[in-house]
Order: sequence, then C-alpha cells, then structure tokens
Amino acid sequence: MVNPKVSTCFFLSFLMISFFIQSCSAIDQSVADEALVNAENVLASAYVAVAESENAGANISELLMRLGVAGSLLAEANNSYRVGNYDRAYLYAINCSDTVSGIVVEALILKSEAEELYNRNLFLAGAFSSFSLSVLLVLSLFGWRFLKNRYLKRVLGMKPEVRKS
Amino acid sequence: MSFGNLKFLYAFSCFCFGLLLLSPTLAIIIKLPEPERFSQIWILDSDHTTENYSYNVRANEAYRVYVDVGNHMGGLEYYMVYVKFRNQTDPLPNETAGTASPLSPLYEYRFLLQHGQSFEAPLTFSFHGLSFFNGYCFVENVTVNELGLSIGKSVLWNVNSTSYECQFFFELWMFNAEFGAFEYQNMFVTMGLNMTG
Repeated sequence: MVNPKVSTCFFLSFLMISFFIQSCSAIDQSVADEALVNAENVLASAYVAVAESENAGANISELLMRLGVAGSLLAEANNSYRVGNYDRAYLYAINCSDTVSGIVVEALILKSEAEELYNRNLFLAGAFSSFSLSVLLVLSLFGWRFLKNRYLKRVLGMKPEVRKS
Repeated sequence: MSFGNLKFLYAFSCFCFGLLLLSPTLAIIIKLPEPERFSQIWILDSDHTTENYSYNVRANEAYRVYVDVGNHMGGLEYYMVYVKFRNQTDPLPNETAGTASPLSPLYEYRFLLQHGQSFEAPLTFSFHGLSFFNGYCFVENVTVNELGLSIGKSVLWNVNSTSYECQFFFELWMFNAEFGAFEYQNMFVTMGLNMTG
C-alpha cells in the first residue's frame, strides 16, 4: 500500500515546484537541452532499476510514486521546451533529476532484499520437501513390508486344506 | 485384489503423496505460462463517455477529452503519449510499417504503469486565430493544456464531409529497456474535428 502521507508530500512538492518555477531567470537553450538529456537518462536508468526490482518481487510502490512524479516533470519540461520556455524546461528537468536521484540505489537494495527472501523461501521449501520426501520414502518401505505381510497372511489363510478321506 | 494391483496402487499413492510434499518447492520454481501481453490507448469525452466527442470546434473555445492508457504487459512499463495535430494531407502513423507519424508532437505525457493499472489525463485544447478564405481554414495557434503553440496549418474544405476536417491523434510509445529508448507501439487513436469559425 502507498503511504498517503508520502503521496500528499509528493503532490505538494509537485505543486510547489510548479509555482516557484514561474519566477526564475533566463536560461540558455543549450543549458536546457543538456538538463533535459540528463533528466531523460537518469529517469530511464531509474526505471530500469525499479523494473528489475519489481521482477525480483520487491515492493516498489514508493519508488513508483517518485518515478511517476519524475515522469510528469520530464513531460512538463519537454512541453515547455517545445513552446520555447527554456527556463521552465530547465527547472522541470532539474527537478526531475532531483526526484529520481538515489532511486537506483534504493531499487538495488530492494532487489537484493527480494532476491534474498526468494532464496530463503526456496531453501526452506526445498529443505521441507527433501526432509518430508525422505521420511515418506522410509515410511513407505516399512508400510509396504507391513502391507505385503498382511496380504500374504490373508491369502495363505484362504488356501484350501487337503484332507484324507 | 491381486498382488500386482496392490503394488501398483501403493506405489501410485506414494507418488501422489510425494508430489504433495514437493508442491511448496514446485510452486516457487515452476512459472506458469503467461497470458497475452498488450497495451491499450483510448480517449473519452469530457463526460468520460464515448458519445459526446467535440467535433465542431470554434475559435477561442476550450474543449476537453481524456487520454487513457492501460498496461497488460505483465510488469512495470514506462509509457509516453504524443499528441499530434494534422490536416487532411499530413501523414498518420504507418500501420503497415509500424512507424510513427513524422509530425512534431504538440504535447506529451509520460507515466509509469504496473501490470493491470491504467492512466488517465485530461487534454484541454482550444484553437486561436482561425481564418477562412477560398475553401481553406487557416489555424494559427492551438493551446493544449494551457501551453500555446503556433502551428500555422491550413485545412482544406472537404466536399464529401462538408467540413474543414482535421484531427488530433495520440501515439503510444513505450520505453524499451534493451535499447534504452522509446519505441512506437504501432497504436494510435484519432479524434476528428471540424473548424467552424
């Protein structure tokens, strides 16, 4: 489950960024370009790391929320760039990079934790299966011996007796 | 029951019980076949239905639709939707070749979806500086979600549909982690418009 406090926090920060972004000074197109390319790459790397964590079975809901905010910021940056507003584009791109900073490391930690948990579960399940199969093998051999003897006794009990007339 | 039958029955029941004991491990190791993977894109009108799309548009009036995308790809996906605008002669995406339209996007959405999730975002648009002459409608500017763009597009009068026909269309792109770039998914939806002055 996504923590409602965290989601509110991200939403408020997104609104604040949108508000404060209005009052920034002129930025060169090449600077905005660079910031956009950097944000694009950082977000792509973060996405790949989080997707790998998810595949490993980690709970990525909080990381996903940050990635979602970063995605919106990058889209806003590109949209602003398209209309020639390089100030906004630059600030949105920088905020996008800031939002996803550290996600790769967090995703790797979550991934390794998820893999560890998977391996532990696999080991426990394997150990349980091996032990119980061994017990089953031994019991089944004894059981078969018992069953066979009982069966033979019953068959022998049914054997017709020969009497002298 | 014969001895052979008893032997077989005993061996079979032991085998079944063994499988039962192995099931926790098998459940972890064995991956079941996955269902078909696909993504979806659709648009809804301002009432979230498919009945009242804005078709006849006037200058300086705002209209709203919703862009929706669904993920059934089996995992986390990173999507992008490009919003593009075309007149009758501008190319649509090539469905046979699976390539996107070469037109520049007016607007984009970026979002991440887990399997089974869907995304919805509003698209508010308005046209400005419409002028009509000699069977042409010239569209000077379009505002998409409060971002004004100069498009300078001429729309021809269509005799068959008796309208100045043009379209918004929405292309679905998805990030390919292997190539480290977005790939067009050969999926798009269009929304027809008639410039009425």
